[in-house]
This record gives sequence, structure tokens and C-alpha cells, in this order.
Amino acid sequence: MEKTHRATLFVEEAEILARDEFEGDQIILRVAAPRIALAARPGMFVHVRCDPALPMRRPISLMAVEPTDGWLTVLFKVLGHGTRRLAEKNVGDVLNIIGPMGVPFQVPPDRPRALLLGGGLGIPPMIFLARWLMQKGERVSHATNPSLNNRQQPIDSHEDSDRRELVSAALGQETPFQATAHEPLLLMGSEIPFPFDLCSSRIPVSLPDGVTAAMAPMEALGIPSRLASGRGYPGSFQGFVTELAELWLRTQPSSTYREIALYACGPEPMLRATANLARRYDLPCQVCLEEFMACGVGACAGCVVPVTTPTGVAMKRVCVDGPVFHARDVFL
Amino acid sequence: MTEKIAHYLGIDFCGMSLETPLVLLSGCAGFGEEYTRVTGFSNRDVGAVCLKGTTLEPRLGNPPHRVFETAAGMLNAIGLQNPGARYVVDEILPDLDFSETRYIANISGATVEEYAEVARIFDASPIDAIEINISCPNVKEGGMIFGNDPAMSARVVAACRGATEKPLITKLSPNQTDIAENARCCIEAGTDGLSVINTVAGMVIDSESGRPILGNNQGGLSGPAIKPVALLCVHRVYQVAKAHNVPIIGQGGVTCAADAIEFLIAGASIVGIGTGLFYDPLICPRINQGLIEYMDRKGVDNVRALTGTLRCNSPLTV
Ligand SMILES: Cc1cc2nc3c(=O)[nH]c(=O)nc-3n(C[C@H](O)[C@H](O)[C@H](O)COP(=O)(O)OP(=O)(O)OC[C@H]3O[C@@H](n4cnc5c(N)ncnc54)[C@H](O)[C@@H]3O)c2cc1C
Ligand SMILES: Cc1cc2nc3c(=O)[nH]c(=O)nc-3n(C[C@H](O)[C@H](O)[C@H](O)COP(=O)(O)O)c2cc1C
Ligand code: FES
Repeated sequence: MEKTHRATLFVEEAEILARDEFEGDQIILRVAAPRIALAARPGMFVHVRCDPALPMRRPISLMAVEPTDGWLTVLFKVLGHGTRRLAEKNVGDVLNIIGPMGVPFQVPPDRPRALLLGGGLGIPPMIFLARWLMQKGERVSHATNPSLNNRQQPIDSHEDSDRRELVSAALGQETPFQATAHEPLLLMGSEIPFPFDLCSSRIPVSLPDGVTAAMAPMEALGIPSRLASGRGYPGSFQGFVTELAELWLRTQPSSTYREIALYACGPEPMLRATANLARRYDLPCQVCLEEFMACGVGACAGCVVPVTTPTGVAMKRVCVDGPVFHARDVFL
Repeated sequence: MTEKIAHYLGIDFCGMSLETPLVLLSGCAGFGEEYTRVTGFSNRDVGAVCLKGTTLEPRLGNPPHRVFETAAGMLNAIGLQNPGARYVVDEILPDLDFSETRYIANISGATVEEYAEVARIFDASPIDAIEINISCPNVKEGGMIFGNDPAMSARVVAACRGATEKPLITKLSPNQTDIAENARCCIEAGTDGLSVINTVAGMVIDSESGRPILGNNQGGLSGPAIKPVALLCVHRVYQVAKAHNVPIIGQGGVTCAADAIEFLIAGASIVGIGTGLFYDPLICPRINQGLIEYMDRKGVDNVRALTGTLRCNSPLTV
């Protein structure tokens, strides 16, 4: 058998390039890990050695990657021993990380409209996916636009530094998503302060008036986003992110439902509600799951979840069979 | 493998010729291919790989959570999830590259007959050896129930002995009164080697919910936390096993060359790495290198010479 799985993960001594701390013990780290950054796809994660004094690594999702400059970012919240030690690391410190682990989100080409739901610490993979969809769209336009093709942009590499200018240029146009193959809409819910700059969105989304708060870095990329919170942040939707998603779905003509796919990451109740929504609207839905992990490479069967398969229930490993699963297979 | 490594580290174990005295332990290295996902990892860095515990019928294993970090170690309760012996032999073994290392099956059963049946299935396969797991703390039937009773242990070993000519290694539990007596019974029943130790039974509790964290309520402790327990067990088993020339795979919390050397000194012929891999998948070449440096420094030319060299203090009389 051809062993295509071999040497697909990299162990990197990743220097911390930047560290930002936010309210609610949330930290964003940017680390240098060129091999992981190059191979990473949305939904994948890294297995982080938080501290030599701890016997186990901690899985953390990728939030953004910059393959040309060779870095990636993660967002985590201090919860227990591991994340507390990780929070103590400073710029210049080196983290031993393994990745990119897991199966990424699959984006069906016949579902150009992507509804992304992120809850709390499930927001990072959604940010990665939103950016990816945006850039993927651009890759398509590069391929079909001869003047852009002259730039020798390989079809399958992602963002380069002047990519952002392109996106901003697109933002100035009437219909910013004309050129993209996929239109992401990112809806995020959190009960703790968002670790991102917020802004009042100028990208129109069919949602009730007053739901205008957006994530500034997404807005800058031309990706529409909206926030939901029970905490009543200005401009946010007061309620669950799945309720916000349903409001949006109701505004869409049902004939367009077949263009829509759902993607979600967040706490289990939110994922269940998302799976439910997907079932009611008959939408394909992928969810990104968490489970305690040891090896991260599929060797210990420590991270399994029950999954429905054609032959019955199977215990699937979140680290290599996931973390992304079809919602209908994990939430009955 | 350079000639120097072969010279220092090459060793015979139960009739198998191993490139290095390191073994990847059952349950920690999947079915042999999983860790090769990691760039820089190679099965060639170890003398053998023990495959995941296998039973006659497929098993789903325990409900989540199955693993949890503890002080200097971890607790696991996988519950022997595996696709069944036939599947392993028919679908998994053909994909393993036997030029890379030796592969050892790890077998379990709910009855003595099931152990023998699984041994028979592996007997008719290219597997290099069979490790009998009579010490799994995470399954209700079989496992440790056999391992805690020397007479039952011996019955399992004898039944497997009747089922295969392949090298048989019996994996002993630390969760029993007299591990050395158990070892003696297993040797008499025909085991070729001993694996010492399996995990130490334990529990983790969530004080908020008042519930055990593991789906199986209890689990097995591994990693550096159990190393002192494991060293003493190896030392005690060696006292019995050396007279019969029955070699030991010493294991429990090895994370560096010094740990490995301690196991050799205590009486192990080769050393197992399990939980250590989770922390550092590239741990084995480092340990090999550390072993060579140690032997160079001590003027020892083969790892064999370290086994059982413990020099005990004479008991103090007051
Ligand atoms: C695929 C995946 C992606 C993740 N992405 C992120 C992320 O982007 N940002 C973030 O903040 N967190 C993320 N997590 C959760 C993160 O790994 C846990 O918060 C972390 O393991 C808890 O560790 P601790 O040191 O804070 O807690 P401790 O109490 O020290 O943890 C003890 C043990 O429990 C395990 N554990 C506890 N909670 C979780 C959990 N929710 N998931 C997995 N293991 C757990 C730990 O790994 C460790 O073995 C992700 C988890 C998975 C599986
Ligand atoms: C996740 C996990 C799964 C295990 N599964 C098995 C198994 O299937 N059969 C077995 O004989 N031992 C099993 N063990 C025990 C190990 O093989 C080893 O004996 C023990 O973990 C001690 O070594 P260590 O501290 O280096 O991990 C398992 C251990 C762990 C951590
Ligand atoms: S963490 Fe070991 S199989 Fe997933």
C-alpha cells in the first residue's frame, strides 16, 4: 500500500513572534512554524507542548496561517494547568508544536454560500475558514483572469502579502463577493468579551436592524460577520448564534437553500443546536469537535467520539478522523 | 542504522534480533503506522513495535473521556478498542513493512479459550511475537482478573503456549500482591519473555460534578508517575526470571536515556516507551543516542551487559 499518510505532520520549535492578551484571559499567539503554516487547512489544529513540566500536550485550533511568511496564529483561553503555563510564555520563547493535525473542513463546490457559526473558543477555526473561502475565491478569479495569472500565482497557494490589497480593492466595489467562488457569512457567539476589535459593519447582511457589530479584521477582508451575545454588547444580537443564523436563513428564498452549507465550531450545546438547524432546513453541516487527547496522531484511541456509519456506531478519533465531522453523523 | 548503533544497541530478545533495545508499547503506537505521520519518526529507531491490544471480536471500547492528564502522568481507559484479530491479520499486517522493525501482537480475551484462539490467529500470520495482556485494568471481563491470580495467569499462558510456536511475552500487572510469584507461574507455563509493568489502576474525579472524569470511571496510570513502581517490579521479577533466562521488557514512565538505563540496570533486557511518545514523538532516536553515550562513558560495548547490574546496598542493621 502506498503510505500517503507518512511524514504529513511536522514537529516545529516555534518561536513566539507576537502575543496579545485580551479580557477574559484570552490570548492570541503568533508563532513561526513555516512547515505547518504551509500545509494547514481550516479545521486543523496543532498539538502544543505548553510546558516541559507537563506530561501531555494540548490541542489548539489554527486561527490563521501565513505560508509566505511562515507563521500561524492561535487563540486560547486560560482554563487549567496547560493553558495557564502557555499564557506565561512571552515573545521570543519557543514552543514545541506538532501539526497540522486533523481532517479539515470540506467545502462542497456546489454550495457557494457558506454560513459559518463560531461559539466562544470555537471561533478561531471559523475565522480561518472564512479567510480561506475568501482566498479560494480569489484563486479562482486569478485562474480565470489572465492579467492576474501573469503574476505567476500558483492555484493552490494561499494568501500572499499583496493578496490583502486585492481584497480591500474588492471591498470598494458594490458587490464585494462577485469575484469569489464562495461567499462566507461569519456569525459568532460569545458570552465573554470578543478578543477582536469590533466595528459597525458596512457590508449589508439580511438581518434585523441594529445587528451591526462585526469583527474588524474580517470586515477589512470584505468578509461579512455579525455577533450574538446574551451579554448585550452594542450592535450584537441578543441571543444565541444559532437563533441569529435562523433569522438570516428565514430571509433567504427557500430556492437558494441548496446553495448553502453550514460550518460550526463551539461548545457542544451550540453544535447540537446547529445540527438541529441544519436538519430542519435540510442543509449540509460540518462541525468541529473537541475531545481530550493524548497522541494526536491516531495511535492511542484516546480522543474518540461515537459516530454513526453505514455499518452502525463506530468510535472515531477526533485527532485523525476529525476534528471535523458531518453533523448528522455525530448528533442524532 | 549505522554500524556503531548496531554494535552497541543490537540485541536478541526471545529469539528475535532487534536493532535497538527500545520497544513502542501496546496502545501507544496504534497498529504500527500511526506515528509515521510525524516527519522524522521512524519505526527503524526501535527494535520492535507492540500493536494495540487485540481481541477475538471487534470492540468499540469505553465511552469518552478516555484519557486525562495527571501529575507526572496520565490516566487512560481505552477499553481495548480494536477491529478484532482476523481483521488485524487480514487487513493491517499486510500493510506493515516488516523490514523496518519487529512487530509484536498484544492479545486479550474474556476467557482462557479466547486468549488461545487469538494466539492461534496470530500464529498463522507474519507477526514476530505475541504479547499476552493479562493486566489491562480497563475492561470488565478478562484482563487484570487473570493477571491478579498467578494460577489463572499460568492457565492463560499455557493455553497460548499450546496455540503458537511464536515467541510469547506475558505482560504483568502491578496491581497485585506478588508480581514475582506471578512471573514464576508464567515462566513455568511456558512464557518466553515478560513485560513489566502495565498501568497502575487509578481514578480521577471532578470535584464540581462529583463524577469520575473517565467514561469508564477508573483507568490505568502511566508515565513518569509510575516509574519508581515499575523499577521495583522489574527488579523483583528479574530475581525470578534470570535463573530461567527469561528476558524482561521494562516499562513505565521512560522519557529519556537515563530512565531506560535504570530499567536495564534493574533487570530489563529491553525497554518500552509508551506515554513518552505522546509528549515527544521523536524521543526514540534521542534515547538511542543517550544509550550509546552512556555505554561509551562506562566502557560497555553492548547494551546486554547492563541488564541486572544493580548493586543493592546491604541492609542496614541497627
Ligand atoms: C481539536 C481541538 C481544538 C481546540 N482548539 C482550541 C482553541 O482554539 N482554543 C482554546 O482555547 N482551546 C482549544 N481546545 C481546547 C483546549 O485543548 C483545552 O482548553 C485544553 O486542553 C484544556 O487544557 P488546560 O491545560 O487549560 O486544562 P487542564 O485542566 O490542565 O486539562 C487537563 C486535561 O484535560 C484535557 N482537556 C480539558 N478540556 C479539554 C477540551 N475542551 N478539549 C480537549 N482536551 C481538554 C487537557 O488536554 C488535559 O489533558 C481545543 C481542543 C481540541 C480537541
Ligand atoms: C493510551 C494507552 C493505551 C494502552 N493500551 C494498552 C493495550 O492495549 N494493551 C496493553 O498491554 N497495554 C496497554 N497500555 C499500557 C502500555 O503498553 C504500558 O505498559 C504502560 O503505559 C506503561 O508504560 P509508559 O509509562 O511508558 O506508558 C496502554 C497505555 C496507554 C497510555
Ligand atoms: S489522541 Fe490518540 S488517537 Fe487521538
